[in-house]
Amino acid sequence: MSCPPGQRCEEGAKRRRALLVLGTMGAIFLALSAASFVDSRGQAIPSQVSYAGYDAVEGKRVFQAYNCMGCHTIVGNGAYFGPDLTKLYGKVGPAWLEAFLPSAGAWPTSGAVAMQLRDGAIADESGTASIDAYLEKYPDAAERVARRGGHASLMPNLPLTRVETQQLVAFLKYASSIHTEGWPPKPKVDGLSFPQARPMPAALASTAGGAIPAGGQAAAASPAEQGAQLARDTGCMACHSAGTERLVGPGWGGLYGTEETLDDGSTIRVDEAYLTESILDPDAKVVKGYVPHVMPAYEGMLDAGQVESIVTYIRSLGGDHP
Amino acid sequence: MIRIEYQTQRLSMRFFMLMLVLFFFQVAFGLLAAAQHIDPALLAGQLNFNVVRAEHTNLGILWVLSGFIGAILFVGPLLSKRELAAPGLIKFLFYALLAIVVWNVATQSLAQQGIAGWWQGQPMLHEGLEYLEAGRIVDVVILVGFAILCYVVLRTFPPVSEWNEIHWGLGIGVVALTLVWIFGMFFVERLDLQEYFRWYVVHYWVEGVWEVIHISLVGFLLVLMFKADVKSVGYAVFWGISLVWLSGLIGNAHHYFWIGTPEVWQFWGSLFSALEPLPLIFCFWHVYLDSHQDDKPVENMPAFAFLLGSVVLEHVGAGILGFTMTFALTNLWSHGTWVTLSHAHLALFGTFGMLGIAAAYYAVPLMRGKANFDQRVGRLAFWLVFTGVLGLCFAFAIGGTVQVFVYRTLALDWFGGDVAPAMQFAKVMVPVFGFVFAMGVCILVYDLMTVGLRDRDSAELPAAPVVPVAPTGWGRRLHGWETGLWLLGMWFFGGVITMGLLSFNLRTVAEGSMMLPYLMGGVGYTGLLLVTLGFVMRFLRSLEARGPVGAAQVPATVAAATA
Repeated sequence: MSCPPGQRCEEGAKRRRALLVLGTMGAIFLALSAASFVDSRGQAIPSQVSYAGYDAVEGKRVFQAYNCMGCHTIVGNGAYFGPDLTKLYGKVGPAWLEAFLPSAGAWPTSGAVAMQLRDGAIADESGTASIDAYLEKYPDAAERVARRGGHASLMPNLPLTRVETQQLVAFLKYASSIHTEGWPPKPKVDGLSFPQARPMPAALASTAGGAIPAGGQAAAASPAEQGAQLARDTGCMACHSAGTERLVGPGWGGLYGTEETLDDGSTIRVDEAYLTESILDPDAKVVKGYVPHVMPAYEGMLDAGQVESIVTYIRSLGGDHP
Repeated sequence: MIRIEYQTQRLSMRFFMLMLVLFFFQVAFGLLAAAQHIDPALLAGQLNFNVVRAEHTNLGILWVLSGFIGAILFVGPLLSKRELAAPGLIKFLFYALLAIVVWNVATQSLAQQGIAGWWQGQPMLHEGLEYLEAGRIVDVVILVGFAILCYVVLRTFPPVSEWNEIHWGLGIGVVALTLVWIFGMFFVERLDLQEYFRWYVVHYWVEGVWEVIHISLVGFLLVLMFKADVKSVGYAVFWGISLVWLSGLIGNAHHYFWIGTPEVWQFWGSLFSALEPLPLIFCFWHVYLDSHQDDKPVENMPAFAFLLGSVVLEHVGAGILGFTMTFALTNLWSHGTWVTLSHAHLALFGTFGMLGIAAAYYAVPLMRGKANFDQRVGRLAFWLVFTGVLGLCFAFAIGGTVQVFVYRTLALDWFGGDVAPAMQFAKVMVPVFGFVFAMGVCILVYDLMTVGLRDRDSAELPAAPVVPVAPTGWGRRLHGWETGLWLLGMWFFGGVITMGLLSFNLRTVAEGSMMLPYLMGGVGYTGLLLVTLGFVMRFLRSLEARGPVGAAQVPATVAAATA
């Protein structure tokens, strides 16, 4: 494999031979490539997948704009900070994604998923409007709601608009329909119901506590406590903190009684009437600096008594009491 | 003392200095990413993980390129026996590179607001694709920069009829560097097609272009350091490049197993990428041969240590660890987990990073007129960086093995609740070894920035800067058969790792017993990395035992060696 000085080495001939073999390989590679993207393979195509009126190409632009691949993998490529997103849509369904994405800092509760199912388009995509049927149809959503619902997630809240959220779900719907030749491998055991297989059971217990204290130990007594419980179950706390910190929406601590400036420049005092209206129809009066169509309307989801106890809870978190 | 014959060689200095600065910041972002893995709430909302990671990977690519450019500019005049063409353009290239760095670091943070700057269907500001995070504006500037590099290299080289294999390697390398980049400059609607073309850039850069430039530069540095015969090294370069391309062209198929392309790629990818270690074994063997062609003392130990590190880690990180996960049946499990991280860190930093540092250690003291510099600092930095990166690789590999079991076999997909806690031990090991690595980097950056400028250096050094090692025990001469045994040892443990990954396919593992993969992973990775550490120690000790460099042994000019 070496050519001592003074010997005829025929470098030119060797180079030509190497190039010939290389050319053959290039031809094989290009033939395989051409065969990989022919229509007759029936591989999913994003421009033909749509969700709630948006196609998956629009979603792919959102996916890239937020650099989702910088934390997650898709078809196994990307970073390994969060889970793979390829098959997520098929596993948890659209309503869970719609509940999760706008307030990714906390895991959605069943109330939050049920809220999304009240939207006709989402119910159509989910194949059901009933939360029970939904959780049965998407067992991974049921697992997430049961184990994680209401806890803080490790994902930061992103400033996704309603449109971007739905475009992103369209992209995930497309990704989920890509045929990936058997990857990821199908598990033979259920890690959750197979205690012997638990890798480090002690670690599980230590992470159970999130930023939001788990409630429901004692029957709530006062209206404010009832409201606090209701706010957790409905998923309010995914977007609103009990302090002054802004998550997706404003923090509730000290909110009551303050003067807020609306989008149109007018001001309004945060009182019972405004809070009630903002729960039932949040887009009626949007405070400056907040994006409309992010919070779902709870009209018909919560009855008057429930709204009242949530408002009482918000009042109890401090603020200017007139 | 060795003199710089061609003044334009000095243009490489600024690229080496930029390389060091970017390296420092890349490591800082890496440590921050490691800290965020342990506490994901750290800086969440201000500096999200995806931004930190994008800076880490982008700065990594940019400093490796900066090192390549520096090395090419330094050896270009020696290869051509004349000054570099268009020094003005080279200065422009430097400022363009600076602008690229600043602009790219700034635009990556826009991902937190979801702003990609869509215009004409293209993301102008940042692209949000792994390794190709740079936006279109910067893509174009980078393309112009590569074109300038091509022009400078090809104009400097003698006519094609006078090219030897090193000219061919570097010439083809810089042209392919430019051409392959173009495949990453389009928004692709289909995810499978986008991934297909993304690997054109990522795989063909690393496997087709960087490795070609790497082989050529290693070859020429060996010519410079050991006065090896340029023709015999040229033949090694020719075979190296041929094997790289013959295995790597179709070898790219190992990226096409699960992205939505047909099953047939699994056959071609498994077959050809299993051959990818061949040129690396070849290069590995040549470093041994060329450094043992005579028993003269090594003049510049830090430069040779990093060169040896580069070739050994290429062989271990890219060759062996790449081999373990290149088969469809092992890749099925390793794909999309930390297992690939161990390969990526060892292969990318080891192969290309260490080459840039080796070139800098060779060139910077010469350009500062200090061939007789204090080499102890550089050798300390080498050992910290080398053990640090091996430790990092170990942490990623162990974490990855646990991740495969928890995430794939048990199908637990709650990262915060199930996966991350199980990986906690490995996650803590990362910043621990990262700290060792970072210490080495700080020393290295300080040393290279100030070598030849420090006060201590201006006084004549004592005659023996290297404490002689007795030529017995670990210091005795390294023979070919012993090198072969070390090589066999590495491949033995590589085989154990492969078996460990394969064992995930077994029914007993699939049904919940983690014993086999954990045991084989534990033995395999530990063994491989310890053998690697031992081999490099043995190699360098045997060279140190050749004794200190006497002033009389230093030849008059570098150019004389290339004749």
